[in-house]
Amino acid sequence: MTTGGPDHQGSLPGLSAQEAAALARRHGLDQVGVRPPLGRYCADLWRHRNFIWTMAQAGFISRHQNNYLGLVWSVLNPLLLGAAYFLIFGLLLGTRGQVDNFVAFLTAGLFTFIFISAGFNYASRALVDNTGLVRALRFPRAILPIAVMITELIATIPAFVMLLILAMATGEEPSLKWLLFPVSLLITGLVTLGIGLIAARIVHAARDVSNLVPLLTRMLRYISGIFFPIADFASGWIGAVLMYQPIAVCLTMVRESLLGEFPLNPTTWLVSLGWGLVLTAIGFVFFWRAEASYGRG
Amino acid sequence: MAAAELSPDNGTGADRTGQDPTPAVGADQDRVPAVILSHVHVTYRVFGAGRGKTVPEESRLARLLNRGANQVGVREVHAVKDVSFVAYQGESVGLIGRNGSGKSTLLRALAGLIPPDQGEIYLNGKAALLGVNAVLMRQLSGARNVMIGGQALGLSTHEVREKFDEIVDFSGIGEFINLPMSSYSSGMGSRLRFAISTAAVPDILVVDEALGTGDAEFRKKANDRINKIRESAGTVFMVSHNNATIKRMCTRALWLEQGHVIMDGPSGEVVDAYTRWVEQQQAARAKAQQAKRAQPRATEDPDEPGGDGQDEAGAQGGGR
Repeated sequence: MTTGGPDHQGSLPGLSAQEAAALARRHGLDQVGVRPPLGRYCADLWRHRNFIWTMAQAGFISRHQNNYLGLVWSVLNPLLLGAAYFLIFGLLLGTRGQVDNFVAFLTAGLFTFIFISAGFNYASRALVDNTGLVRALRFPRAILPIAVMITELIATIPAFVMLLILAMATGEEPSLKWLLFPVSLLITGLVTLGIGLIAARIVHAARDVSNLVPLLTRMLRYISGIFFPIADFASGWIGAVLMYQPIAVCLTMVRESLLGEFPLNPTTWLVSLGWGLVLTAIGFVFFWRAEASYGRG
Repeated sequence: MAAAELSPDNGTGADRTGQDPTPAVGADQDRVPAVILSHVHVTYRVFGAGRGKTVPEESRLARLLNRGANQVGVREVHAVKDVSFVAYQGESVGLIGRNGSGKSTLLRALAGLIPPDQGEIYLNGKAALLGVNAVLMRQLSGARNVMIGGQALGLSTHEVREKFDEIVDFSGIGEFINLPMSSYSSGMGSRLRFAISTAAVPDILVVDEALGTGDAEFRKKANDRINKIRESAGTVFMVSHNNATIKRMCTRALWLEQGHVIMDGPSGEVVDAYTRWVEQQQAARAKAQQAKRAQPRATEDPDEPGGDGQDEAGAQGGGR
């Protein structure tokens, strides 16, 4: 049975939307190219958990195979930057405020912030950088930014080990509360994942925005109290906003887990956890809402 | 045994079952539809192509967040226009048409990879797509790509490991499996992708120009595998510029022209009509050129509307 021919104008006629839907229902076909319900999306994500891990490994390998020193750079880079910051802010400008162990204060903040900014940067480009994969395979797209965050968490482990060594070298006593250090990193990872998911959708929709991401991270670098204790330089409601914005409060949390002069403060931890859960939930839903559009551009 | 009955050429099958032979409208009650498309339009964005459309006045925020945003340097290509058809289990459908006629985009859309702007696409089961452009992660080894592709297609880690040797064996790339895919020849890459995509026996297999590469032995293996998928009530779609391939491997063919499906029927008939039409176009073009040469002041080459390769850049660019 042949229909049409070389001279046919326009497309051949076919089923109307209603007829197609009825036929699909009768034979149990699923519509594709539409956003799945949130529940099914989460279930799908869970079913792909091994794939998330594979993608995280793949990202790690592809990032480190092109330079000989590989992982060494992930320690060397923050160390060198930390040295520069120490010279400028610690010695030249004297922003140490009331802090005694400024080296540990600075490196704890800086290393954590590098983790946040790298995760945010990579996650925001997760869709755009993997267009080939998105157009070749079908899987819940939220896997991409999530895998990126896992990659980043693993890639930063050597730097965090270096941070522990530095803390001990500058006179911090290892104590029970150091057990909370990994927990604080996980919460920080949640915060980063949340903003990363939001950024990934926006950057996919309007790629030019990716130019704003480095600017945004630089601004956060200056206002989040990496090389100065916020409490000593700002007060009142401005101080409160600066201290409890998601990034700054995460840095404080990491410092509380490591440094003797910063006792554990439940407010810091609850606010951080709150930010982590809320931002990840918002980011996930925001990302999921545009699921059907990924791959088009 | 349903499979054998379900995989006739389109025409004879309809006659034998005594059904109203209207496959385009999909009235067959006996056959199970695998893919239903209803008035599908697909547009994709090409970056760095200059402004294609004037920007409608919207609020800045809306423009920023709009998923189809008409940004600077972005051009929208309306690649598939108002396409409707029903494909059944056990069918293998070839898509033919000139470069840039929307074949690859249509394949991606029906694999669920590029969402349609308008219209609905329904699938019975899971689709696997492999194509020349289906880049996995080029900088990673073939072995790792086997894991990525296999898991994305729904296999567990264990299942991928189990099938690993078979995949490598089928693709015939041997030692290269541990080298990055960027070091593969195009034939090796597409053979590996074919092996990965078919390892899971997909319900719907979508093949984009992948079988042209590879030697005779591999083509035969691929042919066998496609037949096996059809026998297990799967459906195969393929794009090929090799008309003999379409005739040999497909039961049905769709002819696309500028995003429209203009002919639908048994592969032999459609391919023959297409071949005749292309020859006519070439003859007409040759005539026009002769006439031009006869004139002393020929200015410049005309934009050949029928030229193969003319729209290749656009079609391929959209695939990335």
